Amino acid sequence: MFFHIVLERNMQLHPRHFGRNLRENLVSKLMKDVEGTCSGRHGFVVAITGIENVGKGLIRDGTGFVTFPVKYQCVVFRPFKGEVLEAVVTMVNKMGFFAEAGPVQIFVSNHLIPDDMEFQSGDMPNYTTSDGSVKIQKDSEVRLKIIGTRVDATEIFCIGTIKDDFLGVINDPTTA
Amino acid sequence: MSLVTDSPVHSSSSDDFAALLDAELEVGSSGSSPDEEDVEADGDNNNDNNDDHDDDDDLDSQRNKRCKTEKLEDLEESRGSTSQGLIEDKIVIHAELSLKKDICTHPGSFGQMCILCGQRLDDESGVTFGYIHKGLRLGNDEIVRLRSTDMKNLLRHKKLYLVLDLDHTLLNSTQLMHLTPDEEYLKGQSDSLQDVSRGSLFMLDFMHMMTKLRPFVRTFLKEASEMFEMYIYTMGDRPYALEMAKLLDPRREYFSDRVISRDDGTQKHQKGLDVVLGQESAVVILDDTENAWMKHKDNLILMERYHYFASSCHQFGYKCKSLSQLKSDESEPDGALASVLKALRQIHHMFFDELDCNLASRDVRQVLKTVQEEVLKGCKIVFSHVFPTNFPAESHPLWKMAEQLGATCSTETDLSVTHVVSTDAGTEKSRWAVKEKKFLVHPRWIEATNYLWQKQPEENFPVSQGKNQ
Ligand SMILES: [Zn+2]
Repeated sequence: MFFHIVLERNMQLHPRHFGRNLRENLVSKLMKDVEGTCSGRHGFVVAITGIENVGKGLIRDGTGFVTFPVKYQCVVFRPFKGEVLEAVVTMVNKMGFFAEAGPVQIFVSNHLIPDDMEFQSGDMPNYTTSDGSVKIQKDSEVRLKIIGTRVDATEIFCIGTIKDDFLGVINDPTTA
Repeated sequence: MSLVTDSPVHSSSSDDFAALLDAELEVGSSGSSPDEEDVEADGDNNNDNNDDHDDDDDLDSQRNKRCKTEKLEDLEESRGSTSQGLIEDKIVIHAELSLKKDICTHPGSFGQMCILCGQRLDDESGVTFGYIHKGLRLGNDEIVRLRSTDMKNLLRHKKLYLVLDLDHTLLNSTQLMHLTPDEEYLKGQSDSLQDVSRGSLFMLDFMHMMTKLRPFVRTFLKEASEMFEMYIYTMGDRPYALEMAKLLDPRREYFSDRVISRDDGTQKHQKGLDVVLGQESAVVILDDTENAWMKHKDNLILMERYHYFASSCHQFGYKCKSLSQLKSDESEPDGALASVLKALRQIHHMFFDELDCNLASRDVRQVLKTVQEEVLKGCKIVFSHVFPTNFPAESHPLWKMAEQLGATCSTETDLSVTHVVSTDAGTEKSRWAVKEKKFLVHPRWIEATNYLWQKQPEENFPVSQGKNQ
């Protein structure tokens, strides 16, 4: 799910960045530091959308660095257990398949693929129903349900399932 | 759910995410019955959302937030149910969930979560399959299960597994700085990296390397892929392995994600079939290093080393000029890969078409042995001055090799002997061989026969007079 929230961060800035462009420097450093990172609580920070407020700077003795408390708005993405997501298949093998939804890497084990879909090896490995009507292969778009999530510093891992109603392939690259 | 983008955010602490969720919950749950919350409070899964790594807050607020998060998740889950019967539905869902959790054997993990129930797992049991995907780990039972389903699938397609070593088996690589002056010409002859499927000599500047593919390798891979599901398994590191896979298989039709490097092995300096998802009774290995496969010698076809570059010769202590220095190469139609392909065809044919027992009970290791024993079948070999005096002849590698190839070995000459193996034509037995019109061959005849899985023409291995030939 996406959220638009306000976060706060203490930014340390080198004295060379002070002056007229102080605020711009702060913002660009903030973007560099924060965008694309993950936190367990908020998930993946997709983009900073605005600065709410920059607090009073605190000069550090000795180094001359100044710490500014910065409040900023950002869009975060965080998958939840039970959430239904759409994802693109990146790899198919005999253990199941891997899919990505933005920064989130999802594994769907073959235990959680419907029993009537069977693995077919070859140069384009896939899971296919016996009548051949449904096929999951690399670049297929699937709708899956998250049953477990874990957020690292830079990555989000999920376990997913398509063994449920209304889940599975939503777009087959070969017929598109 | 896209209902959040314009949500009002007033409060100032960074903990407002929880408050935000709360606010959204109000919106989301406006239509549902109040009873629902009670059911959720009794729910069983309040323990598994512990993925807050960077929490610096007190536990209370954390717990608080967690509760809220869960409410949200449960709401998500129940979207689509009608409000009638919602409560029963939820109870059933929860009962099922808890049941699942209790009996889940946790067959494997991805990102430290069970691949079946999604629960967080912290023990590090099983085998990692990093070459397939980062963070993937499978338990032993799951490996067994996957192997056996895969095996059925494979046998139905009349295929076996083939594990291929890279260096000295399919190709030869050298560091650019190890090129000798008389190899400098190679730099001008390297093939384009644009379309690698045509070339065989590649300069990989970004890796400071040059790689030469073994003659016949493209035909070999193409034909072997029809009989085998193939793996690369190298002692090189992962980036090297992937780069070589690109050269050998630019269209990714042979190996897919089955590229295993030393970073993926479970034991140092050893290669093991534990990371190969194939049953050992159906795996054939091609490698030039026998010692890397201590536990799987019966699956191994030992390859004659391909030394193209001078540095490779030096590394193995050969003083002679390398193929590159001689501006020469291994024979395409009669080289090691062409010979071994013939042997593989024979093995494949025997496994699928000649054995009587049922498919699942067949063992390719037995077939390997049988095919190998055909090579020198009917030969009776006597060694003359090949082994050190007082050395127990039966335990000498050459003796054993000859026996593995199906020959019988003897210490005494008699008329049933077919070959005398010696390095000196002047010995008594050598002279006897000439007189009785038996083959007199150099020991290398056995080695070459062993590598090529084919009896080699005796006249190519003559024995010269005197101690040094
Ligand atoms: Zn489990």
